[in-house]
Amino acid sequence: MSRRSGIMIALVFAVAVVGLDWSLGVPPDPYRAPDPMAFGSMSGASGAICSFAPGANE
Amino acid sequence: MITQILLVIALVLTLAISVGVRFSLLLLVGLLIGFSLERFGFGFAGPWRRLIRDRNAQGFMAQLVAIGLTAIAIQPIIAFAPGSLIGAIAPVSLTMVAAAFVFGLSMQMILGCGSGTLVNAGSGNAIALTALPLFCVGSFLGTLLVPTAIEMTPHIPVNLTESFGVGGSIALTLAGLFVLGIIASRFSVGSLWNRKLLIAAAILAALATIHVLVAGQPWGVVYGLGLWVAKGAQSLGWDPSSAQFWIHPINANALSTSILTDTTSLTSLGLIGGAALAAWKDSSSQPFNQSVAIWYYLVAALFGLLLGVSSRLAFGCNVGALFSGIASGSLHGWAWLFAGFFGSVIGVRLRDQLWQQARQGV
Repeated sequence: MSRRSGIMIALVFAVAVVGLDWSLGVPPDPYRAPDPMAFGSMSGASGAICSFAPGANE
Repeated sequence: MITQILLVIALVLTLAISVGVRFSLLLLVGLLIGFSLERFGFGFAGPWRRLIRDRNAQGFMAQLVAIGLTAIAIQPIIAFAPGSLIGAIAPVSLTMVAAAFVFGLSMQMILGCGSGTLVNAGSGNAIALTALPLFCVGSFLGTLLVPTAIEMTPHIPVNLTESFGVGGSIALTLAGLFVLGIIASRFSVGSLWNRKLLIAAAILAALATIHVLVAGQPWGVVYGLGLWVAKGAQSLGWDPSSAQFWIHPINANALSTSILTDTTSLTSLGLIGGAALAAWKDSSSQPFNQSVAIWYYLVAALFGLLLGVSSRLAFGCNVGALFSGIASGSLHGWAWLFAGFFGSVIGVRLRDQLWQQARQGV
């Protein structure tokens, strides 16, 4: 097996994550999409971020 | 190469039409970051290992340059648009420091940090592919532990831009990076600067800035990984209302909407895809399996799990806490750097011992 097999496994993993989410959850609605850029728009950051600390920085 | 570019354009346009332009731009940023990290050999775990083991500071210096450039760019724009843009500000605590130490140790065991594990997996590295699923599971388990950790010990968020103003915060950040650079230069042997890594640092800083402008928040990795497993667990019957972390409106919203609208999910998927594109051409001539005993893959899985748990308790990995935290003016980024580095010192030694044993059996 070459390393290309590993790349294929990684890509299958990524596609599987998206595919499962798409099939099990609610598909995204492009008509409810925020502005293309948060900067200068009314729809800013989602806040879903690694540094999120519930209760500590509120 | 033309096929790859056309594939990326098709993917980004499809996402723009079916989900939204912002999300397609974030995927593109992730793809470009993954491609750049793989193509230029820029990383976090590897350079720390070379600094500790070989006294080679080139990669570490490039990291400092990347963080410094990003800080100069993003701190003013976040301060300029406080309603729509946020920094990667998180609290400092004992559990946060301990978790960063564990993360630093773990990332040396699998030679992959938060971004590195995704990039290595995308480029077909067998150990990273073993560690990645457990990294995701660990990130989810960490979300279940975070509220308890916050209740147990004082958690104090320190935002340098609020304490000292934007100018003062940037000056302090650059001064801190400069002092670290001086210490590293005294410790290192040989040339400090590597042209290729410095170009990568500039590209990374530019992409991290674009990320803030588009997403409204700095680049992160682990939030999305935990979200994927949370969604999977929910579909298997897990009740998110039993977890304090997931009942918060921000996280509940992320759980109820597509991962194609989640910032860190998109950039993390992009990292895998970008690294795959960069590594594809030469991958057919390289072996998939590394010549180590099979038990080392179990070690990689274990430390992948620890990577996930610790990155949540440390409020980010080397990207969300170290890179974006310091660049945003969060004190927790600095605490992460020191704790993570000491963890790496232990991790480099432990990894060398185990790696030697794992290779002897083959």
